Amino acid sequence: MRFTKELSKGFIKDNPIFILVLGLCPTLAVTTSVMNGLGMGFAATFVLLCSNIIVSMIKKITPPKIRIPIYIVVIASFVTIVDMVMAAYLPALHKSLGLFIPLIVVNCIILGRAEAFASKNNVLMSIADAVGMGLGFTLSLVVIATFREILGAGTWLGVRVTPLAYDPMLIAILAPGAFITLGFLMALMNMLKEKK
Amino acid sequence: MRYYLKLGFILLIFCAIASGILAYINTLTAPVIAERKAREEIETRSALIPNAEFHEVQASDGSIFFEARDPKTQEIMGYTFNAAELGYSSTVQTMVGVDPDFNVIDIRIVDQAETPGLGANCTAATFTDQYKGLAIQDLYVDKDGGVIVSLAGATITSRCIANSVRKKAIQVRDEINQGGGE
Repeated sequence: MRFTKELSKGFIKDNPIFILVLGLCPTLAVTTSVMNGLGMGFAATFVLLCSNIIVSMIKKITPPKIRIPIYIVVIASFVTIVDMVMAAYLPALHKSLGLFIPLIVVNCIILGRAEAFASKNNVLMSIADAVGMGLGFTLSLVVIATFREILGAGTWLGVRVTPLAYDPMLIAILAPGAFITLGFLMALMNMLKEKK
Repeated sequence: MRYYLKLGFILLIFCAIASGILAYINTLTAPVIAERKAREEIETRSALIPNAEFHEVQASDGSIFFEARDPKTQEIMGYTFNAAELGYSSTVQTMVGVDPDFNVIDIRIVDQAETPGLGANCTAATFTDQYKGLAIQDLYVDKDGGVIVSLAGATITSRCIANSVRKKAIQVRDEINQGGGE
């Protein structure tokens, strides 16, 4: 069925980070801990879902010449809503993600899916696409963050998993660690893809 | 020409709708955010100097600090104030509690966005506990001849906290000594 296909493609086949290589800026920035990755993933999924629905709904009344500014207005509005609601009701998460939330506006996954998918498909398929892509993005963030948090801080989701004698590799949670981890994971994904 | 005006007009309508929705949500969330911030500040203050009553005092430069008094005897138990200075990548805000002789009781980092894993460790109790009991003249990091051990790889963050706390403590002390006769 097409609905399930659109839903599941985000995880492996068209994974937004490892295969489409979209939205790398937030990916590199927030994956210092699994908690941040989850928060960013869900916030982006929510924005993606809302923007895909709206973009798909207004595709008939959107003049093609100004579609990009209109998509940006839609996306930026939802990002601001997420920012305000999170600051009001989830202050702890907002504290650690605060800097990255405005970055969702320019997250290429969201604009990319609006342009490549939602503007050409109906609302139902756009929802499937948004949920699949969003969760695929979240999953990828968690995988990268798992490596970085365990190596760099010796914890997973804030719980200590390495023996106390392990001296955390600071570089893993700094910017270079993000590039190195992402590089290795992409290589792994490509290797698996070629074996098939 | 008319076509382009029409495009601009359509975009204007989209923007107007979006701003209307945002304005509405802002009116819902802004009071909650303000209230939460105020409550957090009160909680931090009472954690620094427990069992005290706080009175707001306005300094001559317009900044605000708090006098902590014993609720029964009205004796001054100390002062709390906020110190802020630019660290490595953000303004680090510290709430400081001092006793009446201006020895630090404790500090809390209330807001920062320093490098994760390095400067961001300044919120850890192992770092802030070093400030307990220090007098104003001791508030320097080790590299500047003080007793506060800098965080590994985050000298700038550590130094900015020590300097901001020291400067603000001196300012509040002078303020109180001046007004002491009144």
